[in-house]
Amino acid sequence: MKPNLMPNNEKPIAARAKSKSKKKLSERSIGYFLIAPSLILILVIAIWPVFQSFYYSMFDLRLNNPSKSEAYVSYKVDLHTYLDNFPFLINALEEEAETASGKTKVELKEIQSNLERIDAELKKDNDLKARYDEVDEKLMVMKPISEELAVADIEKAVALQLEKTTNETTDRVRKLKSELENPDDAIGLSSSLSDSVITPNFIGLKHYKDNLADKRMWKAIQNTTIFTVISVFVELVIGLAIAILINKAFFGRGLVRATILIPWAIPTAVSALMWKYLYDGQNGIVAKVFEEIGLIDRMTDLLTSSNGAMFSVIFADVWKTTPYMALLLLAGLQTIPSSLYEAAAIDGASKWKQFVKITLPLLKSSILVALLFRTLDAFRVFDLVYVLTGGGPANSTETISILAYKVMFNQTNFGEGSALAVIVFVCVAVISIIYIKFLGRDLLNDK
Amino acid sequence: MNKKAGPMFYVFLALFVFLVMFPFLWMLTSSIKPVAELFGDRAFIPFTDNMTLENYESVFVNYPFVKYLWNSFVVASVTTLYTVLVASFAAYAIARLKFKGKTVILGIVLSVSMFPQIATISPIYIVLKNLGLTNSYLGLIIPYTTFTLPLSIWLLVTFFRKIPFDLEEAAKIDGASLMQTYWRVILPLAIPGIFTTAILVFIAAWNEFLFALTINTDDAYKTVPVGIAMFEGQFTIPWGEITAATVIVTVPLVIMVLAFQRRIVSGLTSGAVKE
Repeated sequence: MKPNLMPNNEKPIAARAKSKSKKKLSERSIGYFLIAPSLILILVIAIWPVFQSFYYSMFDLRLNNPSKSEAYVSYKVDLHTYLDNFPFLINALEEEAETASGKTKVELKEIQSNLERIDAELKKDNDLKARYDEVDEKLMVMKPISEELAVADIEKAVALQLEKTTNETTDRVRKLKSELENPDDAIGLSSSLSDSVITPNFIGLKHYKDNLADKRMWKAIQNTTIFTVISVFVELVIGLAIAILINKAFFGRGLVRATILIPWAIPTAVSALMWKYLYDGQNGIVAKVFEEIGLIDRMTDLLTSSNGAMFSVIFADVWKTTPYMALLLLAGLQTIPSSLYEAAAIDGASKWKQFVKITLPLLKSSILVALLFRTLDAFRVFDLVYVLTGGGPANSTETISILAYKVMFNQTNFGEGSALAVIVFVCVAVISIIYIKFLGRDLLNDK
Repeated sequence: MNKKAGPMFYVFLALFVFLVMFPFLWMLTSSIKPVAELFGDRAFIPFTDNMTLENYESVFVNYPFVKYLWNSFVVASVTTLYTVLVASFAAYAIARLKFKGKTVILGIVLSVSMFPQIATISPIYIVLKNLGLTNSYLGLIIPYTTFTLPLSIWLLVTFFRKIPFDLEEAAKIDGASLMQTYWRVILPLAIPGIFTTAILVFIAAWNEFLFALTINTDDAYKTVPVGIAMFEGQFTIPWGEITAATVIVTVPLVIMVLAFQRRIVSGLTSGAVKE
């Protein structure tokens, strides 16, 4: 709508045009207004974390190590830790110096003056001095100290000097151990003091370099790929067969449909646990049956051998998602007019020919959509493997998501774990791009 | 194709249904056996002469199972209510209003629904931890938005598009405002679709595992999938209780699926099939 081009001389028309353009405009703004909440939520809760994961992946981030528990780009000093230790260390050294004599006394005095010199150095910076005093004051009256206040930027040279001095102090006090009354106090205080220096943990792409050279990572990628390709392929073939067979009117349709939905509807974790019971080496009925029919040598092979475990995971996944696949394909089949088959039959086309020439081409987009969703789901598989095998035995079923989880939450190495997570993300993105190339844009178009 | 179902067809069908249902049936028969009969020779006999409900009793007495159920229910319901509400606005706008960038937005929504959870978990975990939201309901409701919101928008857009556009035009001609058209004309017709979306979102939230596993580690806030998976002790696996808990979780789902199967199927297939 271009309201400016509307004729302005005739009042009624102008008024109508104005109201129409207002309506158009308001429809657009209402549109954006209605979409805004969803879009903001998606940006904040889904898109930002992916970028943040990438950011974290460039740091040596470890949640169990206080000086590496956040992403630090520059040198900092934690004044809280510093002031919790520094005054007491000076006190301890003074007390020791009083009782000590000769060389030891001189040495202690020297250590103390070194520490005081670096303390003075810290206070030279006005901003830092202000914070220093504030933290000190709060510590005196035992008020809580926020991290924003306590952690301050310092110059690299000062930081390195502080680190060097505290480390030297620890070493020198340790050497004097036999001469001192309470050596452990001073050693403890000075090593805690060195924790107040925060060195930047930015390491660039090192995690990626390490991961790409790591056999375990490649093994995980390989496991994930094997799992994805085999399970999705088997699900497609069996699902398509089932869909074609039940694409007719029969008695008990509703019951069959409900049956199909139940494996899909139960939590994957619960179904994994169920299969763990059925596969169990001592009392698992499925393991027993497989042993009886000669599929495996011993019942315990299923979950304790590498191939057996991978087979078990794939089998459980096929059981859970084939019905779903069949359902999607059945819906696609039902859109194919039966007149096509009738015409083909009259022309003498065989059942196979009908399948290849009619069913497959017309089902192509349904198949691709189902494959896309299934492939992505399979590639990020987590709960099934986590509960059924935990990635074992000997990492033979460890998928890339499981590996990333273990690195993040068992080793609390969030930096490396985030790098693995980003690798999963990139793989998933590449897979989707390939599928979308095949699918074209009709996935998003209006009709 | 042959549209008539012969006897062979029903044999095949029965076999198929049996295979799909077998694990559930086996869990059911195991759950009412005494623990001693779950091991040894009697482990492979589906029947027992000493039927007992002790496993069911143990699930409720020895484990905070009711708490798990309640937690799952709260988290899944709140997530469903709020995401479907927020998504319905966006879906209505995408499906029925004219403005630039709709396709791009729908593309973003679709891509986000394909994000692997593991790729978002480290920042989400750290933020929730810093906010003190780990081990709380909100700690799961917030991250669940990452997959429930795109899913709801995607489904609702397909449902909204199916409502005939003529109705809207007619309402407009009669002088109804945009909001009136939405409340009086579109919404009543969209309720079945919204309901279907709600069912699917509820199931997705109820079944979620990774966020629940990492964020709510305290027994008081664990959800059912994580709770059951953690039944396993260090050295022993309490199969009796696990089979009973599985049955308890499955029965309501079976009832729900039987009641809403048409809706669920229409929801599952709506995004995937172009008519």
